[in-house]
Amino acid sequence: MVKIVKFFGYVTFFLLALMYFTPKESVYYFAENELKNFKVIVSNEVVMDKGFTLELKNMDVYVASIESAKINEMQVALFGLYNKVEAKDIELSSVAASFVPLKISDVTLVYTVINPLHIELNAVGEFGEAHGVVNVLDKNLSLILKPSKLMRTSYRKTLRNLRKKADGEYEYVQNF
Amino acid sequence: MSKISNSSLIGILIRLLILLAVAKAIALALWWFLPAEGVNLKEDTNFKPEYQRVDFKNMLEPNTASNAVNTKKSQTNTEVGINITNMVLKGLYGNKSKGFVIVALKSNPKKTSIVSVGEVYSGYKLKSILSNSVIFTKAGEEFVLKMPIAKTNLSSGVSSVVSPVASGKPYVVTRRDIKYYEKNPNEIWKDIAIAEVKNGAKIEGFKVLRVRTNSKMDKLGLKRGDVIIRANNVELTSYKKAFDLYTKIDKIKTLQLVVMRNNEEKELIYEVH
Repeated sequence: MVKIVKFFGYVTFFLLALMYFTPKESVYYFAENELKNFKVIVSNEVVMDKGFTLELKNMDVYVASIESAKINEMQVALFGLYNKVEAKDIELSSVAASFVPLKISDVTLVYTVINPLHIELNAVGEFGEAHGVVNVLDKNLSLILKPSKLMRTSYRKTLRNLRKKADGEYEYVQNF
Repeated sequence: MSKISNSSLIGILIRLLILLAVAKAIALALWWFLPAEGVNLKEDTNFKPEYQRVDFKNMLEPNTASNAVNTKKSQTNTEVGINITNMVLKGLYGNKSKGFVIVALKSNPKKTSIVSVGEVYSGYKLKSILSNSVIFTKAGEEFVLKMPIAKTNLSSGVSSVVSPVASGKPYVVTRRDIKYYEKNPNEIWKDIAIAEVKNGAKIEGFKVLRVRTNSKMDKLGLKRGDVIIRANNVELTSYKKAFDLYTKIDKIKTLQLVVMRNNEEKELIYEVH
C-alpha cells in the first residue's frame, strides 16, 4: 500500500514538475502556427508563463486576415486531468455589429477526464448567456443561448436563425 | 534508528531530484524543437496611389477663351448637384495666383472648360494652382483637385478600358441605402450573390452570380457575370481587402469599382451622398 502511494506521489510530482518546466510560450507558438493553417492568426499578444498556467493579453484575432476580435485577457491552464481556457473582455469586430452585440465579458472552455468526450463551453456577454457542449466523437457543437433583452430587441434577425425552445431559450447546432 | 529514517528521506529526495532533472530535460527537449516565435499578421504596406485618370489628348487641345465664357453661361444650369468629386482636372498652367486650369465634369469629360484663378466653375472658385493640383473654394471650405496620372497596368486579355463616360453619369448612392444594408445585412445577399474568383489559391476578384431585378443592387449597374477586380484602386485579391472597404463604406464619398465584363475592364463610379 505504501509503495502504491509512493508511486502515485512520484508520478504526481513528476507531472507537476514537467508542467512547471514545460516551455509554455513555445507550446503556445506551436499552437499559433497550427491555427494559421485554419487562417486564424493571433497578433500583438503579450505571452506570459505563470508557472503552471499561461497568460495572454491584448490579443488581436484575425480570421482570413480580417480583424475579427480583440481579447483583452486569456488564461490557459492545462493540467492533463483538468484543462481550462478562459478568455475575458472580448470585443468583436465592428463587421459583426449587424449580427450580434460586440462585447463578450467571459468565455470559458473546460475539458476534464471525467467527461472525456465532451468540451464544455460557457459564455456571458451583452448577447446574454450561452452554454455549449462540443462532442468530440460526433464532431458537433450544441449551443443553448439565453438571450439578453438587447439581443431579443435589437438582434431578432440573428435569433431567427436559431431554433427557439419552449422555455424561451434558443438552440444552435453545428457539425464540423 | 534515526540513521535508518535519514537514509530513507535522502533516498526520497534523490528520487525527487532525479524526477526533476528528467522533467527539466524533457522540457528542454521540447523547447529545442518547438518554435521560438509566434505568428503575426503581416500588413500589406504596398502604397497604392489614389485612383486617377488622364486623357493627354485633352491636355494638348487648344482651348479658346470663348470656352470659358460658355462655361460661365452654363454653370448656373449645372451647379445644382455638382460636387468636386464630379470634376476632372485635365490640365493646368500658371503659378499660385496666376494662370488657368482645364477642367471637365466626369459625366462629360470631353466638354472641357478653362477657368482662371479667381473664376467660379460649377459653384467652386479657383483659388490657386499648385504643381500637380489646384485648390477650389466653396462656402469657406477648400477642395483639392489633383491632376490625374496615367494608368497603364492593364491585365492580360483586356482589350480596352471603358470609361464611365461610355456608361453614363456616376451612380449616386444614398447614405440611407448604406445604412439600410448595414442594419439588414441579410438583404445584401438576397439582392446580390457574389463568389470569389480564384486562380489556384490566389483570389483574382469577386464574381457577381446574381442580381435581383429592381433591387437597390440592380440600380448600381452591376450585372450577372461581372468580376469586381478593383475598388478605389485597391486590387481585391483577398477577403481582407474587401472587408476593409466594407468597414470604410460609411466614410467614403466616392467609390470606383473596376469590373471585368465581356473581357473588358469597365469602370463604375459611385458618389455617396
